[in-house]
Parts: sequence; C-alpha cells; structure tokens
Amino acid sequence: MSGATHTDALVVGAGPSGAVVAGELIRAGISVTILEQGDWVPADAFDGARRQWELTQLRKWHPNPNTRGRPEDYPVDVGHSDVNPLMFAGVGGAALIYGAHWMRFMPSDFRVRTLDAIAEDWPFTYDDLAPFYAYVEEAMGVSGQDGNPAYPDGAPTPLPALPIGKVGRKAAKGMNRLGWHWWPGSNAIPSRPWRALQPCVLRGTCGTGCSDGAKATPDRTHWPDAIKAGARLVTGARAAEVTLDARGRASGAIWIDRTGTRHEATADVVILCANGIGTPRILHMSDGGAGIANRSGMVGRRLMMHPFAAVMGTFDEDLESWVGPAGQILTSMQFYETDASRGFLRGAKWNCMPAGGPQSFRAGYGDGPLTDAWGLNLHENVRQKFGRSFEWGIVGEDLPDPENRVSLSDSLTDTDGLPAPAIHYRVSDNTRKMLDFHIARAVEAMEAAGAIETAITPLIRDCGWHLMGTAMMGDDPETSVVDAHGRCHDVPNLYVMDASTFPTSSGMNPTATIMAVAARSVLHLIEHRTDVERAA
Amino acid sequence: MSMLDTAQCERLVRFARLMVPGGQGMPSAEAIGLCGDPVDEVLAIDPTRMEGLGRILALPGEIGTMADIEALAQRDASGFADLGVVLANAYFMHADVRAAIGYPGQEARDSSAGLTNADHALLEPVITRGSIFRPTPA
Ligand SMILES: Cc1cc2nc3c(=O)[nH]c(=O)nc-3n(C[C@H](O)[C@H](O)[C@H](O)COP(=O)(O)OP(=O)(O)OC[C@H]3O[C@@H](n4cnc5c(N)ncnc54)[C@H](O)[C@@H]3O)c2cc1C
Ligand code: SF4
Repeated sequence: MSGATHTDALVVGAGPSGAVVAGELIRAGISVTILEQGDWVPADAFDGARRQWELTQLRKWHPNPNTRGRPEDYPVDVGHSDVNPLMFAGVGGAALIYGAHWMRFMPSDFRVRTLDAIAEDWPFTYDDLAPFYAYVEEAMGVSGQDGNPAYPDGAPTPLPALPIGKVGRKAAKGMNRLGWHWWPGSNAIPSRPWRALQPCVLRGTCGTGCSDGAKATPDRTHWPDAIKAGARLVTGARAAEVTLDARGRASGAIWIDRTGTRHEATADVVILCANGIGTPRILHMSDGGAGIANRSGMVGRRLMMHPFAAVMGTFDEDLESWVGPAGQILTSMQFYETDASRGFLRGAKWNCMPAGGPQSFRAGYGDGPLTDAWGLNLHENVRQKFGRSFEWGIVGEDLPDPENRVSLSDSLTDTDGLPAPAIHYRVSDNTRKMLDFHIARAVEAMEAAGAIETAITPLIRDCGWHLMGTAMMGDDPETSVVDAHGRCHDVPNLYVMDASTFPTSSGMNPTATIMAVAARSVLHLIEHRTDVERAA
Repeated sequence: MSMLDTAQCERLVRFARLMVPGGQGMPSAEAIGLCGDPVDEVLAIDPTRMEGLGRILALPGEIGTMADIEALAQRDASGFADLGVVLANAYFMHADVRAAIGYPGQEARDSSAGLTNADHALLEPVITRGSIFRPTPA
C-alpha cells in the first residue's frame, strides 16, 4: 500500500451529489480529496453527432453497467431483481448519460405519512428545500416555464423553456381536449449560453451523452471551478472501504488504482456520494466486510428504483419526432397525487419524449416474432412510425420495502476483486396497479391527440435510472442510518449525501432533489464543522 | 480488406435478402453493398459484435424462408441478436437509406426560439384551471 495523503474531507463519487458537496467544501476553505472510479469523458467522445449514434448506444454508451462492461464499472448481480439498476462511472457520474429531466419533488412528497399513512415523512419540507432547489438550478442552467400550477411557487427556473416543437404541440392539444394538466418540460439543459454550458442544439441524444457541451453535467458545471480552487479529484480511484479508528470514528478510505495498487486517503470527515447502490456497497464492504453504520440493519434496505412504463403513439403526419431535447418536451402531473379510489396510493409524473432514430421502430422494446420486425415489415414500420411517433413516459412513485435491498454478491466481483452489489428487488402490487392505471390514461391522452396507433410498454428491465433509499435519513438510530443532514448515527464523522438517504422516492426524476439535499447537508456540515468528532 | 471472408459474406447476404429486402421505395440491404464498407464500418465501431455474428454465420442450415431464419435464431439467440444489430446499423447508417426515409440524422438546430405565441395560447386553459397540487401541512 502506498503512503496516506490527508485532507480535511474525503468524498467518494464525482457525480452530481459529490460535485455539490466538494464544491461547497473547497469554497469554504476546507481541503478535499475526491475518489472517482471513472474518468473524465470529453464531449467529443459521445456519438450524438455521428452516424453511429444508434449503434453505440446499444453497448458502449448503454446505461446498464453489465451491458457496457467497462473496467471502471462494477458489475451488478441482478439475479434476484425485476429491474436492472442503471448508472455511469465518470466525472459527472450518471448525469453524463441522464435525460436532464429536472423536477422538484412536490410538497406532498415530503409528507406521505401525514397525508397517506404510508412510509415516513421527510425530516424537512418542500418549503425548507425550496431555496436549495433555486441555488442548484442556477448552477445547472435549468430551462423551463415559470408558473406551473402543479407547484405552489410555480417552480421557477433561471432560463426560458426549450421549444416544444411539433411533438409537444400535438401532445398538448390532446391534453387540452381532456382538460388535463401539462406543462413545458423543465430540463437541466440551457436554452441560452449559460456559464460553461453551450445552448442546446436539440440534437436529442441527451441519454447517450451530449456531444455539444449543452446538457448540464458536473464535469462542466462544478468540477472545473472546484479543481481550480484546490479540490483534489483522483480518477480511476475505487474506494474499497471506509477505515475507522479504534473509537469507531471514520479515518479515511482505502482505494485501489487502475494498476491494482492500494492507497490510503485519510481525512477528518468522510462523505459518501456513490449513489443508492454504490454507497451501501461501500458501507457493507467496510470493516473487513462486516459492514459499518448499520446498527439499524437498514443499510442497503428500502431500495427504490422507479419502475417505468410508457405509451408510444403514432400519428398520420410528420412530427420530426427525432428532434430533441430528450430531455422532456412536456410533463404532466394530472394524476400525481393520491386518489385512493384508484386502488393504489401516490401517483406518477409523465414526460413527453421524442422517439429517436429509425431503429427505435425496428423491434420497439419488445421481442415479437421475427417476421414482425424484419422483411417488408421493417420498411412498413419505419415508414409508418419513424418521425411520426412520440412517447408519454410514466415515472411512478416506488414505495419503500425493506426486502428490496442491496447486499454483497457472493459470486460476482469487479475488476479489483471487490464483491459486486447484489440486488433483491420486486415490483410491488401498488406499483403494478399504479402503472396499469397510468398506462390506460396515457393511451387516452394519445388518442385525444389523434394517435392512429398506440403501443404499450408495461415495464422494462432496464429502467433503474433512479437509485434511492438505501441509507435512510431519520431521527431514530434504531430505524434509520443517517440524520436529517446525512450524518451517520453510528459513525459521527461519516456522512451520506446522495439519494441513499431519501425516505421515499416521489414520482419525480430525482437529481434536482439529490443536488438540493446535498447542498443543504454540506452547508450544515460546514456551519457546524467545529463540532465534528475527528478520528484520533 | 473486408472484415468478413467470402463465405461469411455470402451467408450474410442470404439472411439480408429475407430480412431487409427492397420494396416500398426502400433499397435492399444487398443493394447498398452491405458486405463491403457498411458492415466493415459497423464492426470497426463495435468489434464486440464479431464473435456472435461469426457464430450465427457458421451455423449450417437452409436460409430460404423466414422460418429457416427463425430456426437458426432459436439455435443461437445472442448470435442472431448480433447479426440483427450489424445488419440494421449497416443499413440505417447508409446515406441512401437515410435519404429514402427523410432522416437527416440527429442534426443540430437553433433552440433559442423557445415557446411560440401559439404555445402560450395552448397553455391558457391549463393556467385558467389553476393549482393542482395537494394542500400539504408543514
Ligand atoms: C440513463 C439515465 C438517465 C437518467 N435520467 C435522469 C433524468 O432525466 N433526470 C434525473 O433527475 N435523473 C436522471 N437519472 C438519474 C441521475 O443520473 C442520478 O440521480 C444522479 O446522477 C445521481 O447523482 P449522484 O452523484 O448521487 O450519483 P451518480 O451520478 O451515480 O455518481 C456516483 C459516482 O460515484 C462513483 N463511485 C461509485 N462507487 C465508487 C467507489 N467505490 N469508488 C469510487 N467511485 C465510486 C461512480 O463511478 C459515479 O461516478 C438518470 C440516470 C441514468 C442512468
Ligand atoms: S438535445 Fe441539447 S442537451 Fe440533449 S444532447 Fe442535444 S444539444 Fe445536448
């Protein structure tokens, strides 16, 4: 093992949460090392502007680490899961390939026990978090339309909305016919030049990386300033475990470089930002695999991944439906709130999305007979659907269940020989009923918009975009892992500042809330830093 | 030099004649010179497809109907999936095919126009209906 380096703070993970945390620490004069197992990915590495865009999204830029199989990824043991978790290892984390759908949670999302007698309330409210949302939205150059009646404050954004195009207009007319809520999509994609970000050029390839430097990703929005101010970001550095001193205080981490050499990084405070799978994995691997911070037994439990459904509509006119952003063109919160008469609790947010290139229609998401996908049907499908179809995607609230969990695999390891995370995850009855209800409504929305054909995707395996809940925050050390500011109950100088802390999942894409909660937590830590108990 | 040998190429073309024939204003995969630059380009960009493709092309058996292809696909599903990826991408990356379906590729456009007056008019009824969030106690 090489010699230890010491900084005031050590952060694991250089995605959106780690970027917010490290940026604030260094700005406050707190020295910080960041360990990131992935590398920098320059904009011109992405294939959005190249002909092979549809080819490389099937493997090289696939969101499932098991399909991608890069050495910097850890594989995930999904033998006991209905859904595959999706992520990306790199400076910027999964945001490098996220859709940049930017959604604040709704006020009710923080109060589900009070309102619906399920799960737990959050230890803070929408109003508490609102200033932090606004703060991170400035940094991320969020574009949208103010005054959304789905939010008490209209969910203002710093930049005006992106165009909604022919697809958005078609979808909106359908919603208006039904008298249903819709709103121009809010996206972490600037509609004007914004700080280090270029304006969006509507290339529509956001989900496989933005080759135009437009989409807000931490490698552009946060890391350059943090590094300039002195943050020490180490790439190709995989944290193997958090180390503890004799009194059980965190003293740093052991990490492994790409040559397999082990290093030690010591720090007064350790902050995990490795996402809802990576963070519990590190906690489980620590203390020689015995695990730490787990008096409650809740580390890794309550994994929530937002099972996803979609309805594709085809129209008898050219909608140029490969044009971006992708990114969400419109959203709808018509059926977001609980209505118990529907037979399930909570609800879902819809996002209207373009349909992509011609190969989206080769076989859809399904596995139909070969003759459906090939032969003259190939041409017929493309002629009928390509450029003429769009999708209402449905992100449903996933209720926490302790049996849905992340543990360590006993059969699969990463390239360093560390155990892969193993996922046990079953889609609940509540979710299935919710998705069925929403699919039926989305079909109605498509028909009201004039669709001549609709195709339903009830649930796909590759939909674990949102990883939450596996180190839950709460006041009681017997039932939660961290307090309301991300501090581990059992290890007082160890923090979790990613979505692992979320008590519930909402029905929203989570990155806005991840960054806002990270900002709230780290600013609290900075304010109270003299109280932190350091390792001896 | 092509990445597929002559025997592999002949076999691939037999699949292609059934899977991507000409018609409905579209060229066949064979007509775009599938087994030259188009397939080579795909395999150069994603060489991981070569192994499965090689396997399915090496399977003996008739390729006279879609039922024959179905039978081969059942014997090696992942090899057939690789063949599908190579064939479809070689085809849809070709300029003639893109022109035939009116696809300029994922081109860059100006986004600064934002919402139009007509879009704002569409929003009017949504605004008029008013708030839809659930009153939530602090
Ligand atoms: C395809 C896709 C589309 C998505 N679309 C949206 C969207 O439209 N809107 C939205 O809000 N959210 C979206 N998400 C989710 C969003 O990307 C995540 O919520 C967000 O990136 C989480 O930020 P994070 O920093 O907490 O974690 P991550 O972004 O996952 O970053 C964690 C980082 O930690 C690193 N790491 C993990 N373990 C270790 C270790 N042991 N040692 C060192 N480094 C480690 C990882 O390499 C990674 O870079 C999407 C996700 C995917 C995969
Ligand atoms: S639509 Fe905009 S943000 Fe998305 S990839 Fe294209 S340029 Fe980037």
